[in-house]
Amino acid sequence: MIETENLTRKYGNLTAVDNVTFKIDRGEVFGFLGPNGAGKTTTIRMLACLISPTHGTATVAGYNIQENPIKVRQSVGILTENPSLYERLTAYENMNFFAQAYGIADSTERHKRIQELLEFFNLWDRRNDKAGTFSKGMKQKLAIIRATVHKPPVLFLDEPTAGLDPESAKEIRDLMAQLSNREKCTILLSTHHLEDAEKLCNRVLMMNKGRCLLIGKPDELRERISNPIIQIDLTQITSKILQALKANNKVKEVNTKPQEASLLVSVEDIRAVTPEIVKTIVEADGQILGVNTFRASLEEAYLKLIKGEEKQ
Amino acid sequence: MNFHNAWLVFKKDWLEIKRNWQVLMPIIIVPIIISVAFPLIIGSIGNMPTTDVAGNQDFDALIPNLPLDVQNMLANLSPNLSTVYILLVYFFTPFFLIIPVMASSVIGSDSFAGERERKTIEALLATPISDSELLLGKILVSFIPAMAVTFVAYGIYMTIVDIMTFGMFGGLLLLPNVTWLIMMFGVTPIIALCSIGLTVMVSSKVKGFKEAQQISVVLLVPVIGLMIAQMLGMLFLGPLMLVALIGIFAAVDVAIYYLSVKIFQREEILSKQ
Repeated sequence: MIETENLTRKYGNLTAVDNVTFKIDRGEVFGFLGPNGAGKTTTIRMLACLISPTHGTATVAGYNIQENPIKVRQSVGILTENPSLYERLTAYENMNFFAQAYGIADSTERHKRIQELLEFFNLWDRRNDKAGTFSKGMKQKLAIIRATVHKPPVLFLDEPTAGLDPESAKEIRDLMAQLSNREKCTILLSTHHLEDAEKLCNRVLMMNKGRCLLIGKPDELRERISNPIIQIDLTQITSKILQALKANNKVKEVNTKPQEASLLVSVEDIRAVTPEIVKTIVEADGQILGVNTFRASLEEAYLKLIKGEEKQ
Repeated sequence: MNFHNAWLVFKKDWLEIKRNWQVLMPIIIVPIIISVAFPLIIGSIGNMPTTDVAGNQDFDALIPNLPLDVQNMLANLSPNLSTVYILLVYFFTPFFLIIPVMASSVIGSDSFAGERERKTIEALLATPISDSELLLGKILVSFIPAMAVTFVAYGIYMTIVDIMTFGMFGGLLLLPNVTWLIMMFGVTPIIALCSIGLTVMVSSKVKGFKEAQQISVVLLVPVIGLMIAQMLGMLFLGPLMLVALIGIFAAVDVAIYYLSVKIFQREEILSKQ
């Protein structure tokens, strides 16, 4: 549904997006992760035909972004960084304008679709209020309605849950899941909320400084970026225990949780190493209360990757 | 080009403008001053004692350019009435070019620069509305209200002038005459289009509404130049001159439209944010 090949955008000497290549299938929710200035918004703007690439190319919904920008725009719904609403127009007038701009000519169909979406977000009763009187969260919801009003096969959502309360954020996550599962809408989600990415995305792309660092399923990325962790709860952490663990060459990293007297031991292969770690601690006179194993969250994996990049 | 899309942009912008007093105020106040206040003040000169009026020496340079029959008529009028006649029928003619230029530049400045300032431009540019449809929509939203307000101002001015002078000139209706009709239906729309084209072009290149408006004010300079030139007797805005102006500005309009479409860059508009 979306395919890019060496997509690049330069502003003078600055390369905002550097040879980014990826492919997104129909109905997939694809996450764009990266710090501010990573190139996420610039990539979305190129794919939405708002700016053109310096080189490289892309197709969206089967249309080339350089050869057929109008067809691309017809096939795409976009939630921009700002809600981009006409504040002197009412919620209904805003949606009515964009529905017509996206080609819903039939007024009955338009009205039905706007009502359906406004009701989904509990905004139908406020339809005749000017958008300027809405709260930030309500404006964000209206902007999402604008993006989805024409039932586009492709959605670009730039920080859709930014500034929303937990309930509203959940409504938006539910809508995204619904659009992806039921309507097979392809969603490109740019977000700082790694929880959103973890819950919603089939795959994620991590970007930094315009470059694509990794692409994969959230689970795969966590495995690739960070080692599994063994949490060992003790009665007391002693220097003898720490020295014994650090002397073990299968241990990658040891962190402590002093207040809880817990050790977080990073290893490569949990199954093979856990018994040996336990044995090492016992031999160092450690008294074990419990042993747990887990993987780093996507957020931890992401931070590790970005910090590693910055060190380079 | 799909005209429906251009009309859609027009309707949306017009809805916004109707609710924006910052834009509405100047396009209401200036025409009221020109079409109501000016004729009322000038018309009252006709009723003043002759000794209070300086006479028409100030128009010495203008009078030789007037048609012969008008010159003969003026020779038979009192100084008060000839002053009233020259002011109301000839001197104020170019003032009516200020209205469409001012109204269209105020609305036109708000077009792209205003959208950019209010951060609504990105969503608009992301729609499948083409560059030429967007540009035409923005031109229409400046042109239609500017023309409407100008025609209303013309109507009010002519009505007030005729009511006030009907008795003074022995039942003669001073307006409209051929010059005013050419002015209304020929020069005004063609100059408004020129002003709009330039303003929209400026608006798509600068950052904010105020910046666009300040640059657009420069467009009033040629109009004021016409007024001064007529006063100094350098030219006379008679039917022939007006037809010539229509021809010149029509050519300029076509050039501006093609130039606007050519230099209109969605990307640049967005990058100015």
